[in-house]
Amino acid sequence: MDTALKSLPKVKGRKRRIWTRSQRKTADFYLFVSPWILGFLLLIVVPLIVAILASLTNYDGLSLNTIRWVGFSNYERALTNIDVDVKFSFTRTVMWGLLNLPTWLAISFGMALILNQNLKARGLFRTIYYIPSIVPLVAAMTAWKVMLDKNVGWLNGFLSLFWPGTAIGWLSEHALTGMTIVAVWTGLGTAMVIFLAGLQNIPDELVEAARIDGANGLQIFRFITLPLMTPVIFLQLIMGLIGVFQQLNLPLVLTQVGISRGAVPPRQIYLFMYHVYRQMFVSNRWGYGIALILIMFVVVSILTFIVFWTEKYWVYSDTQGEGD
Amino acid sequence: MNYVLRTRLQKRVGNFFSYLIMILVAITVLVPFAGLLLTSIKQDSEYIVWPIILFPEIPQWINYVNAFLLIPLSRVAVRTAVLGIVVSILVTFSSSLVGFAFARYKVKGSRFLFFLVVSLMIIPVIVILIPQFIIYSYLHLTNSYWPWIFNAIAGNSFFIFLFRQFFLSFPKELEDAAEVDGASPFRIYWQIFLPNAKPVIAAVMVFAFQGVWSDYFMPLILLNDDKTLLSVKLASGYVNPQGFSLTTISMAANVMYIIPLVILFFLAQKHIIRGVVTSGLKG
Repeated sequence: MDTALKSLPKVKGRKRRIWTRSQRKTADFYLFVSPWILGFLLLIVVPLIVAILASLTNYDGLSLNTIRWVGFSNYERALTNIDVDVKFSFTRTVMWGLLNLPTWLAISFGMALILNQNLKARGLFRTIYYIPSIVPLVAAMTAWKVMLDKNVGWLNGFLSLFWPGTAIGWLSEHALTGMTIVAVWTGLGTAMVIFLAGLQNIPDELVEAARIDGANGLQIFRFITLPLMTPVIFLQLIMGLIGVFQQLNLPLVLTQVGISRGAVPPRQIYLFMYHVYRQMFVSNRWGYGIALILIMFVVVSILTFIVFWTEKYWVYSDTQGEGD
Repeated sequence: MNYVLRTRLQKRVGNFFSYLIMILVAITVLVPFAGLLLTSIKQDSEYIVWPIILFPEIPQWINYVNAFLLIPLSRVAVRTAVLGIVVSILVTFSSSLVGFAFARYKVKGSRFLFFLVVSLMIIPVIVILIPQFIIYSYLHLTNSYWPWIFNAIAGNSFFIFLFRQFFLSFPKELEDAAEVDGASPFRIYWQIFLPNAKPVIAAVMVFAFQGVWSDYFMPLILLNDDKTLLSVKLASGYVNPQGFSLTTISMAANVMYIIPLVILFFLAQKHIIRGVVTSGLKG
């Protein structure tokens, strides 16, 4: 090793003679990560500063000539119920999360549990469940339009076999349910594959030992499987939570593909980010829209911190247990 | 004996219900695809009738031809594919380089920077995208593909993480030997690490291509109709002169829109699933 170091200064063009090995390593490291650091500064830090500044102006997205400082009035407008749709769309987003997150997690987890058994053809089923995850949202919405349409959709057609004349507006009055169906369909594969891998990491000896001690299936699930899976559930919950609050594509694509073009989405699925989108791209209130985005960012951060804080109460950590 | 028989019976019954649920869920998952396919070969008049006609009287394969004639579908598809390929090459290159640095260098600040990389995964993308859009429009870079290129060159937290996890498992002796032989750090990355990371490269390239091919929001806000990508074009292009949707033709276009992704998935299935799992278990 030492001889290798000493031979380095002789290499032609090396002017790093005075550098120690660790300095050289540091320089190499920062050279390697420089694309990312540049990107971080120019594509994330600068935009965030621009966002904070823009939220204090009346920027209309068209011209910088008419721009002027308006102080905190955008935030005032957002938080004092002048714009009633803020509270409304926020409530809709919370409803969306309350319906979507547990449904998605429960179904994905359930299917992972079933696939984790020693059954034939489980590879085939895993592939089938994963396929919707690779379908772009525009195509998914197009396909689900055939299923969920109020008048000629297959779902209402199926329900009409039992309750003739069913005409549920899955894409209109009951869009919250309809969009949950679409979101669970597209999200099932990813979460299920992750849960399945987590389940396969649970040591067989643990389950065997419990079985020998006389534990039944439910007890094994309650006292071994579930606790050992909490770190995986925790991570999916965090990512899901962030997804819920930035959900914009679903209502946006729904109005483009599912119902008539350019329409406002049904009130049930008038989500916060969609309201923000309209403020900017329809009403040209960019300063205000960005203030709303930053408020959402703060809310999501607080919620994430709360979930992180609850971690110690319910998430299994192998530093305190007997884990491998 | 009695006990053995009973557990065996329990297992049979359990398996039966497992298969029942698996099959029912599989049908639910697949039916929308069937709906899309069948509707794509119907006439619009066959689509809007009640009670539903599952199968068209005469399959309208012409819908697949019309999908190309009504909008410049092939041109938009080529454009989207080229951008997808360029982005996936660039992002694979930058992310693997950064991931290599995080896996193999423990220097001052490297831990903090990696913490930053991981925390970026939980920042809502939209918080960054909208102000980025303002900057791009100020620099007259909207209606160009530069925003995609810049984002690709900067690398992606999720991909950096995947490469780092993979490179961590490489034996230290590998690079020590190369270093003794006088290989530069970049050569160690380029000739030893990268060629041995094919599974991650495959996964990352597919994810990146899929991202460009599927994304709706970025082309919607950044590109005009003459430069837009498939997702936006498919969502808005198929209308007749009166402004009504040409539903079944757009379904045909959407079938063709999905096919490349399905092919990619089956080519790289193992690597894709491993990529998803790595990010989901340790992220």
